[in-house]
Amino acid sequence: MEILCGSEAKGDCLVAAETVDAPRTEISTKSEQLLMPGLRSVVDETRAALGVENVSLRVADLGALDYVVAARIETAVRALNPDASPIAPAVERKRSQRDRPRRSRLYAPGNNPRLLAGIDIHGADCVLLDLEDSVPPAEKAAARILVKHLLAAVPFPDEVWVRINPLDAGGIDDLEDVLRGCPNGICLPKAESAEDVGLLDRELARIEDDLGLPVGSTWIMPIVETAPGVFGCEAIATAGERVVMIAFGAEDYTRDIGARRTRESLLFARSTIVAACAAAGIQASDTVFADLDDMAGLAEEAAHARDLGFNGKGAINPRQLDAIHRAFSPTADELAHARRVVEAAAEAEAAGSGAVALDGKMIDKPVLDRARRLITYGERLAGGGDAA
Amino acid sequence: MKNAIGREIPERIGDRALAPFAGAFATTHAGPKAARHQKTAPRVDDKLLPSIDAAIEACGLSDGMTISFHHSFRDGDRLINQVLDACASRGIKDLRLFPTALFPVHEPVIGHIENGTVSRIEGSMNGPVGAFVSQGGKLAEPAVLRSHGARWRAVEAGNVEIDVAFIAAPQADRYGNANGIRGKTPCGTISFCAVDAQYARKTVLVTNDLAPYPVHPMEIQQGWADVVVEVDEIGDPGSIVSGTLQLTKSPTRLRIARLTAEAVKASGCLVDGFSFQGGAGGISLAVTKFLGDEMERAGIVGSFGMGGGTKLLVDLLHRGLIRTILEGQAFDLDAIASLREDAGHVLIDPGFYANYDSRGCATYMLDAAFLGATEVDLDFNVNVNTHSDGLLLHGIGGHQDVAAGAAMTMITVPTLRGRIPVIVDQVTTVTTPGEVVDVIVTERGIAVNPRRDDLKERFAAAGLPVRPLEDLRHEAEKQVRPIARPVFGDEVVALIEWRDGTVIDAVRKAEGWT
Repeated sequence: MEILCGSEAKGDCLVAAETVDAPRTEISTKSEQLLMPGLRSVVDETRAALGVENVSLRVADLGALDYVVAARIETAVRALNPDASPIAPAVERKRSQRDRPRRSRLYAPGNNPRLLAGIDIHGADCVLLDLEDSVPPAEKAAARILVKHLLAAVPFPDEVWVRINPLDAGGIDDLEDVLRGCPNGICLPKAESAEDVGLLDRELARIEDDLGLPVGSTWIMPIVETAPGVFGCEAIATAGERVVMIAFGAEDYTRDIGARRTRESLLFARSTIVAACAAAGIQASDTVFADLDDMAGLAEEAAHARDLGFNGKGAINPRQLDAIHRAFSPTADELAHARRVVEAAAEAEAAGSGAVALDGKMIDKPVLDRARRLITYGERLAGGGDAA
Repeated sequence: MKNAIGREIPERIGDRALAPFAGAFATTHAGPKAARHQKTAPRVDDKLLPSIDAAIEACGLSDGMTISFHHSFRDGDRLINQVLDACASRGIKDLRLFPTALFPVHEPVIGHIENGTVSRIEGSMNGPVGAFVSQGGKLAEPAVLRSHGARWRAVEAGNVEIDVAFIAAPQADRYGNANGIRGKTPCGTISFCAVDAQYARKTVLVTNDLAPYPVHPMEIQQGWADVVVEVDEIGDPGSIVSGTLQLTKSPTRLRIARLTAEAVKASGCLVDGFSFQGGAGGISLAVTKFLGDEMERAGIVGSFGMGGGTKLLVDLLHRGLIRTILEGQAFDLDAIASLREDAGHVLIDPGFYANYDSRGCATYMLDAAFLGATEVDLDFNVNVNTHSDGLLLHGIGGHQDVAAGAAMTMITVPTLRGRIPVIVDQVTTVTTPGEVVDVIVTERGIAVNPRRDDLKERFAAAGLPVRPLEDLRHEAEKQVRPIARPVFGDEVVALIEWRDGTVIDAVRKAEGWT
């Protein structure tokens, strides 16, 4: 029986694996003399790492990066031989800070090498490698293995997350593979209760321990996209130390409640999520905006989400990042005003005065706290996210 | 001998002594140019002959002569193959082919090299003929590649003497006036070979649309043309539009384009009177679009855009964002229509835009240019001719002319094409020296030539990701194992001339692999 994995799309490769008595490796590529030595060393190393014998491999390359070739071979070989041990690539990734800026989360389909190539360069605060909605059922295994290899090969300048499948529909298998790539966090789709988050928390702890990672090092971003999820927000937001942000998914939510997508139909869910996150001291991220060509509409929706109290918004294409970052970054005027508030408070304190005023307006403690937070946030953005 | 950038070049080819490249603006020429052939105007109003074959006979075309062509139909040209077939039928041998450029449609040239009709080529080769020549031993002498401006200069200087110029003319009259923007199958300007028409011993216009006298504009004039021939087909204008004229959707390429546009803005040159060169290719087109949008936002009106005319450039003219298009070559049918209709859309020839030995080049008036490359190296040298496997697959086009001319020359490239790195230690072939390359923009950041610290400071102040070229190379190489390198033998298969007629590099036959 021959197993096929990958595709003949540009940037991918097609791997055929077969159990035989006399194993062979055949490689084809466009510019054979130029590319063969490099390809052969990737194929040989991947074969050795999988520790399989009696498997013939045919690799048809269409300009795949090394990690794509390795992932396709691993997928084919494990499909052929379920006992083959998953490859554990070497990864270096620093843990990200709990409250770092997360203005944008950029989705990328987890089984499309062409769209994944260079996903790290666009300046998204969080890149979100997707194993769920954008991956057809037949490609789930290929996607989780590809994402693992990508995580190990690409040094992301900011955070990288993985959206897994629901835990009762392949999500745990996803975790077993992708945690070997040490993502900063895991997005949990269709979160509805503290128990959903608790189950993920326990699975993460088990796998982190198995892999020798510090237990608790992987963040969780529950995605609330159903009516029960909205009502469960408060519990979800406080369901554990790992939860740093809740994301809102409007498409599934409107379908669930039988609404059309309007500002009014989403307002209750949006505000509920924002309030629950604020109460728990975590961040809230708004839903994606689907019309790629409507930049004005995107800017308007992002400003609306910012006004409601969201900290960020999802993006389905790098083109959307500019508008989103603009909406969720403090303006120069806002920062200047915040600095004046803090200075006025410092002067009043030095003068021993209890009441603080600026431009004839009283500054009470919430206003002062807000100004301080804004300044810290602005400094973090200027310093590239994780800078203290 | 080694030239000024350390490339090994032969001292002579046949009886021609070669001059080594000495620097982008190092040579100066003075004194008279080559003389044109004297002609006495015929007192007949009809130069029409019945066929290409009759024209060949009338011009006395024979063994060892030089014939020239333009490439305005690009991959849709139907003339070169017809003329070579006719020459082969007459048993003519050892022709020197002097086209402005060859395309994949000219693959039959290979057969004419093998049957002895053609033994030398001086001109750009895009695709199969270049690959064939790269294998070595096929031509009597190495091919010679020149930029648009350098080719014009070489004819005027008498470096290349043309016996018969065959000019595909979309519209011509019987007395020898012609242009490329009217007629049944317009292809844009045919002024590429206006110098051929003036200097050739004989000039033949081949048209598929014979129109009443006087045909205008007169890109080719009656005073230059000896013979007019009417045929069924000279070219397919549909083929001048290639896949590279689509606005890119690739996030990587769009990011490069956006960074390029932001760098232009940060450089300080995006003010009233701004001028730029946009080309074909997805990235260049996107930069043109982004710059236009930025100019509109900022209320800036540019002085001129130079093309490679495209719909996007024409849009800028129609929106009042640039006052003029200087057009040396049409890249789509919208540009051709605009050449007929828009007063601000001006036809220019390579002598006007890029002749090193002239009293002015339009490229020297450019504020910014964004150009492509197959490879760039750590000295900022650029290769557009060969691929990393050593095969000669592309012409120079206007690359050298524009890079040398523009105040800020930007090379826009991805760091990887498939598994092949674009930033390398040393380019396979130097087309354009690092001396005239200011900025390299990739999806992973912007590298600035150390000669341009002024730009580096401006980019950094604008928050652009300025990175050492070496770091960009290193990041790309982490994604792919090293590629093999071709090992080159001694046989020179092609010379790359610089704009002034010196030799900047020699392409050698690939004989093995590391």
